[in-house]
Amino acid sequence: MSTKTAPIQNSLIKLLLLIACLLIIPHSTHLKPLFIGLAFALLIWRSLSLVWTWLTPSKWVLLPLALGLGFIVLNNFGMSFGRDASSSLLIILMGLKLLESRNQRDAQAVIYLYFFVLITPFLFDQRIELALYGLMIFFALLFALIINNSNVESLKNPALLRICGAVLLQAIPLMLVFFLLFPRMIGPLWSMPDEQSAVSGLSDEINPGAVSNLALSNETAFRVRFNSNAPLHKDLYWRGPVFWETDGKKWFLTPPKKESFQRAIKWSEKSDDFQYTLMMEPHKQFWLYALDSPSHAPNNAHLSHDRQLMLKAKLNRNLSFELRSSTSTALLQLSKEDKVRGLKIPENTHPKVFKLVQQWTDSAKNTKDIINKALSYYHREFYYTLTPPSLGEDPIAEFLFETKRGFCGHFATSFATLMRVAGIPARLVGGYQGGVYNKLGDFYTIRQADAHVWVEVWLTKEGWVRIDPTAAIAPNRIEHSVDASQQRLNGDINFLINPPEGFNKLAQQLNWLIHSVDYYWQNAVLAYGPEKQLEFLSNFGIMNWADMLLSLAAFSAIVLLLSISILFYLQRHAPDPVQAAYLKLCKRLGKKAGKRENFETSSDYFSRIGKDYPEKNHELKALNELYLKCRYGRKPTQAYIRAATNFRL
Amino acid sequence: MALTLAQRFSLKRFTRGEPAYLREIELNHRRIFILPNKAGLSLAIVILLMLIASINYNNSLGFVFTFLLAAAAQTSTFYAYKNLSGLLISPTKSKPCFANDQLEINLYVIEPNQRARWQITASHQGQQQTFNLLANNQTILPLPIKANHRGWYKPKTITFSTSFPFGLFKAWSPLLFDHAILVYPQAIDRGLNYQLDSKDQINGGILSVASGTDDFAGLKPYQTGQSYRHINWKAFAAEKGIYSNEFSAEQSADIYLDWLSCADLDPESKISQLCYWVLSCEKKGLSYGLRLPGVELTPNNGNAHQAHCLKQLALYEY
Repeated sequence: MSTKTAPIQNSLIKLLLLIACLLIIPHSTHLKPLFIGLAFALLIWRSLSLVWTWLTPSKWVLLPLALGLGFIVLNNFGMSFGRDASSSLLIILMGLKLLESRNQRDAQAVIYLYFFVLITPFLFDQRIELALYGLMIFFALLFALIINNSNVESLKNPALLRICGAVLLQAIPLMLVFFLLFPRMIGPLWSMPDEQSAVSGLSDEINPGAVSNLALSNETAFRVRFNSNAPLHKDLYWRGPVFWETDGKKWFLTPPKKESFQRAIKWSEKSDDFQYTLMMEPHKQFWLYALDSPSHAPNNAHLSHDRQLMLKAKLNRNLSFELRSSTSTALLQLSKEDKVRGLKIPENTHPKVFKLVQQWTDSAKNTKDIINKALSYYHREFYYTLTPPSLGEDPIAEFLFETKRGFCGHFATSFATLMRVAGIPARLVGGYQGGVYNKLGDFYTIRQADAHVWVEVWLTKEGWVRIDPTAAIAPNRIEHSVDASQQRLNGDINFLINPPEGFNKLAQQLNWLIHSVDYYWQNAVLAYGPEKQLEFLSNFGIMNWADMLLSLAAFSAIVLLLSISILFYLQRHAPDPVQAAYLKLCKRLGKKAGKRENFETSSDYFSRIGKDYPEKNHELKALNELYLKCRYGRKPTQAYIRAATNFRL
Repeated sequence: MALTLAQRFSLKRFTRGEPAYLREIELNHRRIFILPNKAGLSLAIVILLMLIASINYNNSLGFVFTFLLAAAAQTSTFYAYKNLSGLLISPTKSKPCFANDQLEINLYVIEPNQRARWQITASHQGQQQTFNLLANNQTILPLPIKANHRGWYKPKTITFSTSFPFGLFKAWSPLLFDHAILVYPQAIDRGLNYQLDSKDQINGGILSVASGTDDFAGLKPYQTGQSYRHINWKAFAAEKGIYSNEFSAEQSADIYLDWLSCADLDPESKISQLCYWVLSCEKKGLSYGLRLPGVELTPNNGNAHQAHCLKQLALYEY
């Protein structure tokens, strides 16, 4: 007889069906509904076949079905097999395998497949709540494994549940050792197709209305913890890509060339520099944000001459960077090439624009005067709104002379154009402004809602100077952050101005707490990659893979020994259940009839009580006899335990 | 008994078990071994795939769950060990059996540690028995095996194994017991007759069985120890007391089942023939003796006598 070919119990199939549903649910937000539907359909088929056994498909149905479904997946994704395609295939495979499963060995294979599917949602999302959800499923899978290997019919089995729980509890410390010490390498091992899923954030093109769609997003762009003093909120300009080229409608990003990296000058460390750690969310772009302006480039990035930080590879995972920024701009010579780039005016610029600038240049004494005149023009006539009227063929002119309401994108693009027309080299800088300070965790969260665009102009004596036309119109935008939770389309813009009171304060503190937990989750767990691992382990003198493997072996052995010895210890001290029941009974009787003395045997004690309670004497004697028989004889222990717990004086 | 270093590292310890010297064996760390089984190796492949996926996507949570699975598998080895350790196993009495018959090796398994045991398989020469055992409980496991030869049957290695809890590792303990089970000779009738009178044996003649074997010769008061087949039930029903029938043949001569009576046969066949006679005489309630070269058992009957005769035949060496 072989247990391998024993048929699966129906209860186990039900459990497996339930777990399969739980595994598919987190995928439902990012996989195509077609595949979610197919996966559920297969599960429903399997559950129906529990009721009507004739529905159980034969090999000759399943084989074409599997081929057909495989074809559908291929047809949808082509040969590029990334996370979407493989996740879709896996959840369908889950249903197929379950339909095909007959015996214990099949069930084992199904559970292995489930373990693999368990990690696929994390390729899309690694939030802490999803991790806890995964842990719950992991426990259920362990339970399914144990049920499959112990041939029990009912799932109501506390003993097996307890074993699963104990295994999980013992596995967690061992897992932590592996997580910390297992040598990480920088993936991918082979190139994978780019996934089409949109990541919100700045793109490499800016049109006047570009940033407004971000203002509603509460998603985190990055987090910053200052190791030095933090700058004022209005000085929190997080510098990203720099835009030089425009065609009058859009501004384009041309990636800096090698020569630009060579020209970049590293600033030496100064006492009033800002030191900070920046935790970047994967934004699938090359650029890195830094406080205006970064002094040097971290290891895995380059600094360009226009002070952009460019990563060596697209950011596909959470990564943290140690950065240094300085507010003082060093005086520079403007290169000829940059001057040409910074002054290039699109050919189709409207004559009215030239006329407007002409008024200012005629009356102005110097460049600064021109800038101030332009800013006060904005201040006088423009409104700040998240829902500006749409612009047509010539957005700059339409915005400047007709609609006059807009968002930072409108102000910055038009202002830069005006400056160029006035003969002042100007460029556009994309990035974020502000951030929400978390008192509890002492860090800033910079959200997509903080996305911002501003202008830099070249002043002969000062170099590139940051000018933010938005600040001229809506100083609140710069001094406080946009409150994305209060933001409604077509509504007024809400800023985080007033410190909340009462219930709102409590809500704020809870919010801080949640964000702090999230911060540490991101920082400690998600960003723990090859770089962070080396950095962390070097504190303990572990410098390379060989050291890691050695300490991995040592620590896992220690953890295993510890958990085993704890279990042995607990086991050794577990008293005989009969004795335990007896002691419990003595304690209970002691309250009424006097404590049992240490020198008294059970017979002595019971007969002493028997004298005080003659009506119970007979019962006590029987109980004592049962005790002796169960404890020292071969009588089943349950008999005494039951009798002892039911006995009342 | 401590093992010598050579014994400790001998490969036989893992497959055949330690040399037999005990009647009762407690499964402990010295006797329990553990290795991944096929399902465990396939899980290792799954874990490897999960690891590759995690590396490829630089996915921290992928690493977490991959390592958690590996750690849980590793931890399960301990539970597999716990599932076996502490069991007390001893062979107990088996039913007597004849050569070429099914022999049952009975193992008495005691759980003394207040732990429920799951899905333990005892196997011996390809025969398996799987059992669960409740805490503080005991059971008797019969392991059938075909007995080929008469004499003492010594069980080979009996292996206790388990894949509990997750079916990833097989923990096993090979046991050799200092235990032997008596196998009686096969009873084969060669068509010969046993002789009635012991004194005639010298002539070597084979006398026919007296026709009066079953002749009724009268009643005698029943004495304890006599076969119940001989009780005169009619007299008992008439409430005359318990009497037993006396048969003339029984009185006239004691039967000696004699090695020399089957002179033409080869020795094994002789033993088989004698065995057959012992059984048939006992069945008929006759009093019979056994005479082998060097062995003589005086005529008697009853189960104990039969067992004694069969044991002599089983162990007889010519």
